[in-house]
Amino acid sequence: MKTFEEKWTAWLDGQLSGKELAEFEASLPDLAAAQAEKRDAQKLGAFLKDQLGALTLSNEEFFSHQIHDRIARDSADRDRPRSSWWTIPRLVWSGATALALFVITTVVLMSQHPSGEQSEYLTQILNSRVDPAANPNATIYIFESKNENKVTVLWTEGLQTLPADYAAK
Amino acid sequence: MQTETTPAQADVSELDLVRRCQAGETEAFDQLVTRYRTRVFAMIYNMVHNEQDAWDLAQDSFVKAWKSIGRFRGKSSFYTWIYRIVMNVTIDWLRKRQIKAGGAEFDDAIQLKEIDPASKTVPKADPLPHQRMERKEIRGRIDHAISQLSPEHRAVILMKEIEEMQYHEIAETLGCSIGTVMSRLFYARKKLQNTLRDVYENV
Repeated sequence: MKTFEEKWTAWLDGQLSGKELAEFEASLPDLAAAQAEKRDAQKLGAFLKDQLGALTLSNEEFFSHQIHDRIARDSADRDRPRSSWWTIPRLVWSGATALALFVITTVVLMSQHPSGEQSEYLTQILNSRVDPAANPNATIYIFESKNENKVTVLWTEGLQTLPADYAAK
Repeated sequence: MQTETTPAQADVSELDLVRRCQAGETEAFDQLVTRYRTRVFAMIYNMVHNEQDAWDLAQDSFVKAWKSIGRFRGKSSFYTWIYRIVMNVTIDWLRKRQIKAGGAEFDDAIQLKEIDPASKTVPKADPLPHQRMERKEIRGRIDHAISQLSPEHRAVILMKEIEEMQYHEIAETLGCSIGTVMSRLFYARKKLQNTLRDVYENV
């Protein structure tokens, strides 16, 4: 369904015919006024065409020459091999070198890191001796947990007396 | 629609020129530029009202056309196709300029180069100074009236009244429906009738 504006424009430009034209003209409240406005709009069209339609381009050849130049420059830019230092192979090699350096540095630093020192208490236990005369059936187990708490477990069986230097500190 | 062609040029079909352009022949594109440069320039000039800007925008449009000519499939005429580029370039420029200027309109310090179409074949005396003044004044009124329209309304009225394009060609150029073209024409005409009536009634 056409709007009034569309029908009016089509009517003004002579694009309506037959039944459509008759229906549109019949729908106008004042056909004579509409016809006057149509003539006025056509006058405007002719006036615009007359005033704006005869414009010329000065320096036509220069205009074309400039376009030709721009196109040639553009094509030359596209054809020129790109010689940027950061080519893809160079980027890959740089990345790989950086990664290798990182790995080496990490390994060296980790190997130099001092391992956790044995606790004084464990040393004391290990250095101790169980007197076989006093404890003929003694069995002693020592465990050290590997978690971050580093708990040392002393498991004894058949101990009748403890050596004096076994006192835990 | 008129084109700037000589009989020799007219023999070369436009589609053939386009095909040669698509094969990378810049000479073929030169011929297309020669055919349409004046009309493209005039259309842009009537939209922007400044000779230097119109020159630059016409140049940009042709360079853009060259870059995208590979995508031209021949479904429309070359003229409609290049007009689409011209309109996109010009309307974008107008919008940017309006935003930059906070909605301000064009300067009208322009040098018009109008000639009678017949002067190419029939020498004609230059207009008298008072006629030139009068023309300049009329042109100023028209430019001012057109500058009051939105870029889309300007495009529609100029393509219809100056280029005598059909509704469907305008719609194709602007990428909108025929109904939108007709509606814009309605409002653009009304506005210009109101602002220019005293001018065209007395010319």
